[in-house]
Amino acid sequence: MNGGVLPFSIALLGLLVAVTPLVTRLLGRASGWPLAAAYLGVAALLAPAAGRVLDGEPVTWSRAWFPALDSSFALRADGLGVVFAAIALVIGAVVLAYATSYLGEGRQTSFYWLMTAFTFAMVGLVLADDLVLLFLCWELTSLASFLLIARSGTSAEGASMRTLLITGLGGLFLLAAVAAIVARLGTTSLHEVLDSPVWAEDPAFATLVAVLVGLAAFTKSAQVPFHVWLPDAMAAITPVSAYLHAAAVVKAGIFLMLRFSPALHDVVAWNVLLVVGGLLTALVGGFTAIRQQDLKKLMACSTVSQLGFITAAIGVGTYHALAAAVLHTIAHALFKSGLFMMVGVVDGAAGTRELTRIPRLVSQMPVSFAVMVLGCASMAGIPPMLGFLSKEELLAAYGETPGGQLAGVVALAVGALGAVMTFVYCGRVVFGSFVDGTSDREIKPVSPVMIGMAALPIVVGLPLALAVGVLDTTVGAATQAAVGGPLEDPIHLALWHGFTLELFISVGIIAVGALLVANRRRLTPFVDGRRLAPDSATVIGAIRDGLARVGDLAARGVRADHPSRHVSINTAAVSVVLLGGVIAVRDDLAAQPLQDNLMRPFDAVVLVLMALSVLGVAVSRTRLAATLCLSGVGILATAQIMALGAPDVGLTQLLVESLTIIVIMLVLQKLPTTFGNPRRDGHSRLLARIGLSVLSGVAMAAGTWALTSRRPRSDVAMYYLEEGPVETEGANIVNTILVEFRALDTLGELAVLAMAGVAVVAVLSSLRHEYLDPPPAKNRWYVKPPEVTLTGKGTTAYRAIHRTWPNTVPLQLMVRFAAPVLVVISAYLFWRGHNAPGGGFIAALVGSAIVALMYLSTSRDRQLGRPRLPLFLIGGGILIAVASGLWGLLAKGSFLEPLHAEALGQHWTSSMVFDLGVYLGVLGLFLMTVNLLGTSEGEAPAPGEEWTRERVDEAFEGELPGPMDTVRGERADDHPGSRVGVRTHHVSQGVPPREVGR
Amino acid sequence: MITFVLIGVLVAGGTFLIQQRSLVKVIFGLSLWSHAANFILLSAGVAAWRAEPLADRTAAADAADPLPQAFVLTAIVITMAVTVFMLALAMIGHNDDTRRMPETGEVHDR
Repeated sequence: MNGGVLPFSIALLGLLVAVTPLVTRLLGRASGWPLAAAYLGVAALLAPAAGRVLDGEPVTWSRAWFPALDSSFALRADGLGVVFAAIALVIGAVVLAYATSYLGEGRQTSFYWLMTAFTFAMVGLVLADDLVLLFLCWELTSLASFLLIARSGTSAEGASMRTLLITGLGGLFLLAAVAAIVARLGTTSLHEVLDSPVWAEDPAFATLVAVLVGLAAFTKSAQVPFHVWLPDAMAAITPVSAYLHAAAVVKAGIFLMLRFSPALHDVVAWNVLLVVGGLLTALVGGFTAIRQQDLKKLMACSTVSQLGFITAAIGVGTYHALAAAVLHTIAHALFKSGLFMMVGVVDGAAGTRELTRIPRLVSQMPVSFAVMVLGCASMAGIPPMLGFLSKEELLAAYGETPGGQLAGVVALAVGALGAVMTFVYCGRVVFGSFVDGTSDREIKPVSPVMIGMAALPIVVGLPLALAVGVLDTTVGAATQAAVGGPLEDPIHLALWHGFTLELFISVGIIAVGALLVANRRRLTPFVDGRRLAPDSATVIGAIRDGLARVGDLAARGVRADHPSRHVSINTAAVSVVLLGGVIAVRDDLAAQPLQDNLMRPFDAVVLVLMALSVLGVAVSRTRLAATLCLSGVGILATAQIMALGAPDVGLTQLLVESLTIIVIMLVLQKLPTTFGNPRRDGHSRLLARIGLSVLSGVAMAAGTWALTSRRPRSDVAMYYLEEGPVETEGANIVNTILVEFRALDTLGELAVLAMAGVAVVAVLSSLRHEYLDPPPAKNRWYVKPPEVTLTGKGTTAYRAIHRTWPNTVPLQLMVRFAAPVLVVISAYLFWRGHNAPGGGFIAALVGSAIVALMYLSTSRDRQLGRPRLPLFLIGGGILIAVASGLWGLLAKGSFLEPLHAEALGQHWTSSMVFDLGVYLGVLGLFLMTVNLLGTSEGEAPAPGEEWTRERVDEAFEGELPGPMDTVRGERADDHPGSRVGVRTHHVSQGVPPREVGR
Repeated sequence: MITFVLIGVLVAGGTFLIQQRSLVKVIFGLSLWSHAANFILLSAGVAAWRAEPLADRTAAADAADPLPQAFVLTAIVITMAVTVFMLALAMIGHNDDTRRMPETGEVHDR
């Protein structure tokens, strides 16, 4: 049937991601409530479709997407999709509600935003019916889980990176599998792929895909040997763990295995990999859980172990086994999310998660104790909990392991051993956290919301077990999807299903487990403190360090903090290749001679003067002289460009040159007056540099000689020259290329400009003030202003030397006159750009010249405009340019396609709006540059002046009383208590903050 | 031909400057390289045709190739942005020696 509700639900979740920052701004940490309600709303929206799915009718929806890949945005809800989507949404809602009390006061935007983003990706994953979409959602869940762990701060950095490394590796496995499938079958449609006969016909291909998909799922579901990330990830806050590590990210791996089960369940490699890997994981996880002292890490290890049980059942692949896997997935999502939240409750009450330090909580928190007992009973498989039923089903499944009776017996025995371990660590949780405690730590009250939300999924397991029949159709539909065909006989779940072998094993497990738990004190020495294997951080750290060392060796030849080494090597290589190439093809070049009339006498004049200027830049000892010579180079380049018939380029070059020289002068006042002595580096190095320079110059000249000017003007040139004016009704062809034909290039260029402006702010705001502008005492290149001894303070000579203000009067007068004229010129250049030299860039550079004049005419450094104006100009420019592009997309169906109109006897085009965006962006960049780089140096800023760091901070934060003391990654908001930054006067004015006490 | 020599001179000067220790010299070297790159681009438009590509004043038969001109115009403005960024780096700590990294004041707690 048509499943329009599927994309609608996913779009709703996407919308939720978009509005979450607004919601958190309004409601702060209480945002969990409306978001939880929205999750349940989406679940309710999906319910009718889910009903049809459970009746055996898949709901599908599809739109064309990526035609080049022949991929479509296809969604398909079947039993598996419905079960996993329900888990993601319902458990997600409970966790969000829990988080409202768990989180501290504040907006908590990143938590809620990432949680909604995660759910969005997870629901997309389970409903995807296209391999490309499936892969994208898979990667999104990896990224979202990485960010959710990483947001917990510095302590989680290492853990989150390890998580990303391992899940990223899994993403590569999945990508390889998807690529192999698409290459082999030629379709990206998931259900067509799964229905394909190739899996039975081509065992080699099936084995390859089985291993790749299995390994991908292993990384996500934390199966041995990829299990190490999960206990590590416990650095995240408890709601994140409860959601990611019980209901969502780890279940994504389980989902992937179930999704591919119809195709792969008969592949031997699949059976072996999953059964062996799963059971091994169950044992390893159980064993490490028993030995854990940290309650939350214990839960993490137990998750690893429980996922191992599920994986092994999927590996068995019979329909009973798949049904058991689905049932245990549901049961585990319920009890484990509740137990994680209970760990948060215990942590909140005791202030610690160390089992040895938790006080005896049972008498003060009887309700929490009861919830914890129920949850652990479900995990340990004690009747009448849902976990008991699913554990029995799993044991029955292991008996069906393919490969003969012996395999079944071994699998069953290992599974039973794992179940005993589960029982023992469950006992550790219950007694360790509530009963055995001897510590006399203070027990703090815990919000009833937290206890209630933790209890909800656990307690639901009790009636669900008693009336487990209600799950028959759900589990049946999911199993049917995992088997890939109709079931042999319908699923019938019941708490009591007679005296079976599993029941006896269960009784045995409970008996042995209870015996061990009763004697837990005698077992303590065995489980405590001994390290049997290095922990995950050590192993991954060692692998990473080893790789880093290899990379270090490989890079040693070219790596240097200063650029000259790798630039030299690259330049030499390019020069040799180019020169060698020219020599090799010199005979062929004769067949295609240079065009006539390439030279003009004027070129020779420019060349001579240019050579002198370049020599001047190269040999100047003082910075000022080098800058003067550089401006000479720029002016000569302008003249040569004009002579080549490029008036727009020439104007741009001239204006850019002037503005660049002004910025260089601003920066030079903070740098030593001379360059270091080049002879300090030694004679031979100097010769080598000169040699390389000559080589590169000759190579470039020869290359240009060989590769250009050997044909008439190109076809593209003729097209622009002949058709351009007709199509655009603009006579200035260069400008029409910039804003119409190749406007996307220009938009990209605008983005580079904007990025440079933003990058200046970002870099400078990552340095503390005293390192950015070192005080003269710490700066050995600082040159004090010369002391001119003049008698008579009132004399004209004294004022002329010591007062800056009178010196600026002529310039200020000139600005008053020149600025309006320049404004008119700038507007005129902008307006006429389409038909005559001018346009957004040139007009903006003239506008920047106004800024430069105004800045230079002030008597000392003053900020021009409001602090945040440059960023607004840059951002506004980009928005306007993009908006004009979207306008073209809506009106003409092509991004950035200009619209033309005749009005008021004039030709108007929407590309002028685009040009306006360019104008604002360039102006913003230059305003930012003079404001940030023009700050003066010296002991302390005079009134009205500011340090560079303060300017930089103000460019982002608005007006501040002084520089902030934050460095990279910190924001003023991060220090609400200590108030380092925005509101403290300690840094800027030396007034220490008020302290408590007298 | 003269343009090719001009390109060679600019590239040689740029290469010499870029190998220096002072970041300001490196930036100047990069400026020379940019000029050279711009002339290489313009040279691709063939310098034999040198009339301004303005449709209302120049016949298409004489006009210079407008496409490299559009590229160069873009390149000039990008060069300005990059230069400004590198100048901001040069200013840090009031010292532009590239073999001595500026202190940042960051404390790594790992």
